[in-house]
Amino acid sequence: MEFRTAGYNGYAVKYSPYFDSRLAVVASANFGLVGNGRVYILGLDANGIHAERVYDTPDSVYDLAWAERNETQVIVGGGDGSIKLFDTKSPDNFPVQEWKEHNREVYSVNYNLVTKDSFVSSSWDGTVKVWDPVRPNSLLTLPTHSCTYSTAFAPRSPSIISAVSSDSHLRIFDLRTNPSSANHLVHLIPIHGYPPMPGSTYGPPRQTYAPSECLTHDWNKYRDTVIATAGVDQLIRTFDIRNPKAGPVAILRGHDYAVRKLSWSPHLSDVLLSGSYDMTARVWSDGSNANAPSRPANLGPEAWGDELGRMNVHTEFVTGVDWCLFGAEGWVATTAWDERVCVWDVRSVMNPANASRFN
Amino acid sequence: MSAAQKRLTQVSGHLAGAGSKIAPTEGDSSAGRAKLLQKNPDDIVVTACLRTAFTKGGKGGFKDTHAADMLVGAFKSLIERSKIDPGLVEDIAVGSVLPPGGGATEFRAAALAAGFPVSAAVKSLNRQCSSGLQACVDIANAISAGMIEIGVGAGVESMSLQYGPGAVTEFSELLESHPESANCKVPMGVLSEKMAKDKGIPRKVQDAFAASSYQKAIRAQEAGLFDEEIAPLKVKWENPKTGETEEITVSKDDGVRPGITAESLGKIKPAFAKDGSIHAGNASQISDGAAAVLLMKRSTAERLGQTILGKYVAASVAGVAPLLMGIGPWAAIPKVFEKAGINKDDVDIFEINEAFASQCVWCANELGLDMNKINPKGGAIAFGHPLGCTGARQVSTLLYELRRRGEKVGITSMCVGTGMGMAAVWVAE
Repeated sequence: MEFRTAGYNGYAVKYSPYFDSRLAVVASANFGLVGNGRVYILGLDANGIHAERVYDTPDSVYDLAWAERNETQVIVGGGDGSIKLFDTKSPDNFPVQEWKEHNREVYSVNYNLVTKDSFVSSSWDGTVKVWDPVRPNSLLTLPTHSCTYSTAFAPRSPSIISAVSSDSHLRIFDLRTNPSSANHLVHLIPIHGYPPMPGSTYGPPRQTYAPSECLTHDWNKYRDTVIATAGVDQLIRTFDIRNPKAGPVAILRGHDYAVRKLSWSPHLSDVLLSGSYDMTARVWSDGSNANAPSRPANLGPEAWGDELGRMNVHTEFVTGVDWCLFGAEGWVATTAWDERVCVWDVRSVMNPANASRFN
Repeated sequence: MSAAQKRLTQVSGHLAGAGSKIAPTEGDSSAGRAKLLQKNPDDIVVTACLRTAFTKGGKGGFKDTHAADMLVGAFKSLIERSKIDPGLVEDIAVGSVLPPGGGATEFRAAALAAGFPVSAAVKSLNRQCSSGLQACVDIANAISAGMIEIGVGAGVESMSLQYGPGAVTEFSELLESHPESANCKVPMGVLSEKMAKDKGIPRKVQDAFAASSYQKAIRAQEAGLFDEEIAPLKVKWENPKTGETEEITVSKDDGVRPGITAESLGKIKPAFAKDGSIHAGNASQISDGAAAVLLMKRSTAERLGQTILGKYVAASVAGVAPLLMGIGPWAAIPKVFEKAGINKDDVDIFEINEAFASQCVWCANELGLDMNKINPKGGAIAFGHPLGCTGARQVSTLLYELRRRGEKVGITSMCVGTGMGMAAVWVAE
């Protein structure tokens, strides 16, 4: 199934956590470089996909999050640094709330899944901000000093926030720690790997990579200490924050250009979906499921994980990917700069053995 | 650039793949600097800083002056210049490396002799060549933690009277049996020679750097650029020619010499290995001197009507392998950048101690620093490195030069024997 965001290049897509037939998409004119943005609330039925509501914004929009407490509300981050809250119950086409604190493009917004009363945003201005939708100002600003493309609340904890940024680091903030000069930062993990300690003779040599901008990350929905990251160096890595110094657990190599968006499956704990500037969306296993073929332990993180399937329909950069929480386990939605939103079943791009793992 | 162009640059950067350069976070860097330049009541500020002149070990003006006496001189000048009521100073930290017992007793006595009342506490501390900086940082931390309100960070060293084999005790068998631990007592010259060889720092580069240090220092001295930071000191001095004791006023660094070029340094024999590259002309001089820095919160300074010269922002300390102690600044400077939220482009002047030309050049090149920003008035190669004093000395050298140029952000940093580095960020006002 397909929907055209005519004149607007897709930036993000999210399934409603309440209805299996509702999607929200943000898209921007002129590839998000200059001009308006548009927010689509889409409905799915037997006849296809149709727009239920469309909201226009004065500047590009880059990411959205469904409110976890209210099935009619979505939060949208945009190019002018603003965050807008739209409510489909509102009769007019204007945001019901707007926050303007970020100085640069807001590239990600993410709702707190546990307390459902706050959300977090990240921006090119080098900050992550925590918000309560009923308050006019942010609750907290967490500096990253680096263009931050993606931030998220941990799915099982109301107070742990992660962020990845162009300085090639994964940051973990824990709001339970005392406010101090560390600004709640508890882990600063170099995604490209720790540099070898000069002169040190301890520990085995570990492969390191050149630092590169990290564009996206996602928390595993079942293993609450596992995070996948990906970005400009085309590699998807998984980290276990119980051992932040150990480097990546798995490295998934395959995309030919930067990876723009990652999403772990809500159904299978080892499966994740990625969208890339190479115009494909790919489904991966990180090799952690019990039925995965056994591999020699000494091969390092690159030996783990497999590409399970590849979707080649999009004809431009794939920027948004998301899994449907309901029904059959393989349904996903993707959006891309080709002005299309595609709803498809990952089983359709897999061999039958892999496809049979999805119910 | 227009907003659209900036976005295009950012997004096209994503397509470069593994060979990509990380796009600088535009706006953030200047925001980091802007944040640094803000003035808040709880800033830790410097209201006076000074040093004595540095004189050559064994022959200079301070050759017969005890470390504690130089300290008395520095303290007296500090009280005089700042017009602070000495009764308000609650703690004094003195960094010093060589004195037996850390100098704890003499330094307390020196504070009393300088006019501080008995209520002003004194401690001595030793983090090798960064002792003077550590003293300032300790005082700044004690102020921000609320332990004290006003304090003095200082450093002093009489290498004439206290430099020698007695400075390190014998290592036990246990320490000798651990390889990295045994490395801690390898002499600085020997390990720096090895490091210069391993890291491939040619003698030519070292000599050129050393010569430029001399040239910058002589220019600065002739232009009077050290006059503000140096407090002249009257001392007794035995004239080696006549054997008579005279009273002299020391107000000039006597290690600074005219006419030194890379070519003239090129003729000196290496000191630590026949085929080596390090010699007396491209290593720091053995010197005597003292320095002191008066620190308090901005709110206190304003209440007391003190002149604010600058503020302390953040400091870092980092460990490295003992044999590579010279790379200390390379480890410490990025760490302090992260703490202060700035990058190298935000910094106007780097005061990086020139323990050896080899290590200073290596650190600067490795960090990609602009050579014109490093030690604009010369460094330890030209005027000396009285070990425990240097860290406190750099504060005066840096703040007065930043103020003279109308610049703002500076770093002081040094390598530390046994394999460490320290760095601190200061802002002139």
